Amino acid sequence: MVNLFKRLRKLQTILNTKVGTGAAILPSLASATKEFPAVTRLHLTYARKINQGHGGARHFWRKCLPRLKYHNPGIPMTVTQTSDQEGPSALTIYFAEQAGNAAKALAAERKVVDKLAPAPVENEQSVVLDIKNRTYNQIWDRVQAMTGAKTVSPTGEDNQIMAKLAEIKKKSGPDRQRVQAIRQAKKDQERMLAEARGQVDKQVV
Amino acid sequence: MSPYGSVLPTAARGILSLCRAPLRETITPVISTFQQVRGLKSKPKGKGKEQPVKKSKGPQEFRQKNLKDMPQWALCDAMRYIRAIEVGREPTVQKYELHIRLRTKRDGPVIRNMLRFPHAVQTESRICVICPPGSKQAKEALAAGAVLVGEDEVFEAVKAGKIEFDRCLAHPDSLPALNKAALGRILGPRGLMPSAKTGTVVEDVAARVEMLRGGTVYRERDAVIRLPVGQLGFSPEQLRDNLRVTLDQIKKDASALTDRVNKEIYEVVLSSTNGPGFSLNGEFRSESSPETSALTGL
Repeated sequence: MVNLFKRLRKLQTILNTKVGTGAAILPSLASATKEFPAVTRLHLTYARKINQGHGGARHFWRKCLPRLKYHNPGIPMTVTQTSDQEGPSALTIYFAEQAGNAAKALAAERKVVDKLAPAPVENEQSVVLDIKNRTYNQIWDRVQAMTGAKTVSPTGEDNQIMAKLAEIKKKSGPDRQRVQAIRQAKKDQERMLAEARGQVDKQVV
Repeated sequence: MSPYGSVLPTAARGILSLCRAPLRETITPVISTFQQVRGLKSKPKGKGKEQPVKKSKGPQEFRQKNLKDMPQWALCDAMRYIRAIEVGREPTVQKYELHIRLRTKRDGPVIRNMLRFPHAVQTESRICVICPPGSKQAKEALAAGAVLVGEDEVFEAVKAGKIEFDRCLAHPDSLPALNKAALGRILGPRGLMPSAKTGTVVEDVAARVEMLRGGTVYRERDAVIRLPVGQLGFSPEQLRDNLRVTLDQIKKDASALTDRVNKEIYEVVLSSTNGPGFSLNGEFRSESSPETSALTGL
């Protein structure tokens, strides 16, 4: 099994799935309003390579979706990766009953058709957001404006761990240099010794 | 060579090296006899310097780290993290994995068995059965869901490089034919070669096919048993059932080995195809964990 300290260190990075861009609670059936109805599911479609502006979508999947999923475990989120670079890069948001006006307005800015997204069932309305040529931050801002998601701010404990990790990261550069210098000195010493020995052997033979 | 050798002129060095070798040969036995005599007179103090010191074998048991600082999670909390990390991946492909750390000796027997989960992990595993074609067992195996049944045609296919199965079973009657075909070199490295030791040479082929279709083989390696334990879409209850069956079976395996061998479970870690390992604390859910219905499906 992996070394305990490695595992501990790795586990500290799960903080990344808890706080950061995209850490927000989407409105559920209990907290829904007329303007921001409950979100039932999400679907993301994008192409495999970053050409033609698919990079932001992938970053959104990698960075924001885990945090969204962590804070909204009950909302299904699916991702389809296509090999069609010319195809759409779209995020489909499914609302219960009726989509809000903000969502409709933002989605109407740039129209896109996503054939791979599942069709909305009864009592569900979907809104497709075109995310081509947009960074994940821009995508997240739009998603938040459309759904009215409430950001979860990190707790005091989270902030402490983050500060500690940042400090470790800052320290790692000088540490790496220091250790490299030690190793280099040891190697030089060994090489010198080996050379000296080689000379002696030559003289003896 | 000696450091002062380089200072001497070449001729002198030759003389020096000539007389050195015989000197050593004659002197060494003298010293050793002297030491023996001394050893007879008085008891050897501490470690016996005369005998070549035996290399210490190191610790007898696998070293166990103290889990004091290791954060541990309830099953539902661990599942919440794992599902967040695996978001957007194919739910039938990504699996929950279980790593069971044992407290055990470095040598001695290892746990090696197969088990059948209440909720099947593999969606479909293709099984090949080697038995005389047309026999009763062949028909039963086919009925139980084996993909490939036969003797010579299987050997031909394997030799041609066509291995279209994940498991391979054999009936004792066709064992001579199997050995004659010398497939060990092809099947062995893939872990597909049937042998009585792994329980893949059995009389009742059909029952084993049934079992393998819903089950998993596992073995202990370096004091850890790793096995897939569920699909990502499983509900916490389903996963709990599978975990329970697995742990019970492993405890049973450990007690079935021999009386002298003492194995016990030290740590249970839940992980997934892409996720980190979460050490479990044995509880099902904590106060902050979400509803179990929220942790099901995609």
